Amino acid sequence: MEGYLGIDVGSVSTNLVIINRENRIIASVYTRTMGRPIEAVQRGMVELNQQLDCEIEIKGAGTTGSARYLTAAMVGADVVKNEITAHAVAAINVIPEVKTVIEIGGQDSKIILLQNKVVVDFAMNTVCAAGTGSFLDHQSARLGVPIEKFGELALKAKNGVQIAGRCSVFAESDMIHKQQMGYCLEEIVYGLCEALVRNYLNNLSKGKEILSPVVFQGGVAANAGMKRAFEEALNVEIIIPPFFNVMGAIGAAILAKEQTEFQPATNFRGFSVSDLEYKTSSFVCAGCSNTCEVVKIQVENETLARWGGRCGKWEVASEKSLNVTCKPAN
Amino acid sequence: MSSSTNKSILNKGSAVSENEFCLPVKIFYGHVLDLTDKVDFIFIPRVVSVKKGTYTCPKFLGLPDMIKAIDKPLPKILSPTVNLNLGFKKYYSTILEVGKLFTQSYFKIGYSYVSALKEFKNTKLKQEEEWIKSKKETSEVKIGLVGHDYNIYDSYLTMNLTKRLEALGVKTVTCDSLPSHLIEKEVSTLPKKLFWSYEEEIVGAAFHWLRDRTVDGIIYVLTFACGPDSLIQVLLEHEAKNSSGKIPFMSLVIDEHSGEAGLITRLEAFIDMLGRRETEKVLV
Repeated sequence: MEGYLGIDVGSVSTNLVIINRENRIIASVYTRTMGRPIEAVQRGMVELNQQLDCEIEIKGAGTTGSARYLTAAMVGADVVKNEITAHAVAAINVIPEVKTVIEIGGQDSKIILLQNKVVVDFAMNTVCAAGTGSFLDHQSARLGVPIEKFGELALKAKNGVQIAGRCSVFAESDMIHKQQMGYCLEEIVYGLCEALVRNYLNNLSKGKEILSPVVFQGGVAANAGMKRAFEEALNVEIIIPPFFNVMGAIGAAILAKEQTEFQPATNFRGFSVSDLEYKTSSFVCAGCSNTCEVVKIQVENETLARWGGRCGKWEVASEKSLNVTCKPAN
Repeated sequence: MSSSTNKSILNKGSAVSENEFCLPVKIFYGHVLDLTDKVDFIFIPRVVSVKKGTYTCPKFLGLPDMIKAIDKPLPKILSPTVNLNLGFKKYYSTILEVGKLFTQSYFKIGYSYVSALKEFKNTKLKQEEEWIKSKKETSEVKIGLVGHDYNIYDSYLTMNLTKRLEALGVKTVTCDSLPSHLIEKEVSTLPKKLFWSYEEEIVGAAFHWLRDRTVDGIIYVLTFACGPDSLIQVLLEHEAKNSSGKIPFMSLVIDEHSGEAGLITRLEAFIDMLGRRETEKVLV
């Protein structure tokens, strides 16, 4: 069987999927990045391999997410795409007539507007990560409620308490104040969801027309309280696709499939990459007064890629590093 | 002249400036500090107005005073006032005033003024030629870059924006290459006169492109704490949404803490969007 691999390495989670020619999901993994993208990808690859019950030949690989270049160098990707395109492609695959995509991830949130399967407008949170998954994570730890239970709890609330959503630091002090006043946990949790939705709508959609069908994806879509808050604020039905938390990876896999149709063979190095030892190191270049921090990624003493410099003199020709031949494991 | 902006200039500048200042002012501080040991005089004109009826932003007005407030030894600062609101007579006397610091010859002063003006006009003319040439090319994706010149032309601040766009196969046109009569025309359609002159250029250029559709997309570069930018951003986004041309418009907010990753993601997504739109057009 033929399959296409998509990897989305974000700030909080690392997601991997394998799809078949018909864009159906064969295997998917959602794991925490925990600040170690390389290990997360390797862990994910092992898990992914275990899920497969038959021989699969990977015909293409795509990466997205904030660590997309690092991952691409590591696994040998055919396509490296930004998250916006990847998410849009994945949403279209589930609901072809989708007009709005709401995506809230670990540290960024996006709104993507589409018309006839084409992205016509998008926005990302600018200089602030308030209202994203990391904040919810942090609050769940503080309240002693596991993040998986957050949504369930929020749905129990009749009303949400008013919480300032403009800034996550102020939202936190507001929440503490509400706790000290004696409001119950459910209402505070739902109030937080409402605050995040307000923050999202004020910061991102800023008067953009949100037309249905609206698809809500990204890790935060797991929180049923957020879905309820969005539905109450927008008065439209919010669709959460079955694989909402790995949509970026699905998009990357679909794009890899499209890309490999135009090239003779995939650059994918095979599942064995999870056994290789990758080393990253960084140094400060003293070439000029910009003092760039250059990152180097090595595998078995061979430099795969270097980046981070402004002038480009440290950049290893990415083409070469991506084309290192290595036999696929299966 | 100070060297082009780099990390140490920015760090030096932000170390001495107030937290609320916009990024360009912090960079300006850094540039002044970069010069301190190298020169006898620093030329920081007080630019009050470059066009009748308009002003520059308050920070521009205060640059020569603000820099004196930092607790560092500085060379002597020359800060003639340029205020075209007071008419050209006053303007010429300012030029004489500056000139007299260097020479007593009126002829020499006049000559250097005229040649500087000629230089400026030539540059402007060249830019306009570029612009006319680019209008005729239809093969590649073209993006109109709007924003303050001191942002757009600072490759450190914009994290190599123009080069990155070039690498993505995109041609850029900047707002200062548009002839001023086109900008005037667009600005005059506003219900209320803009207060600032440099911002008129940005608004005029963006409005022009939104209507005549000679570019495929517009990117507006602004800095986080800039007052005028924050106001005209709303004006531009509103116009981009409501104009009939439907030219994609994106604001890129830059701050000293901005990571490159966010900028690259936005640029790539924007270019992807333009590309997919094009293919769609062909299919339809």
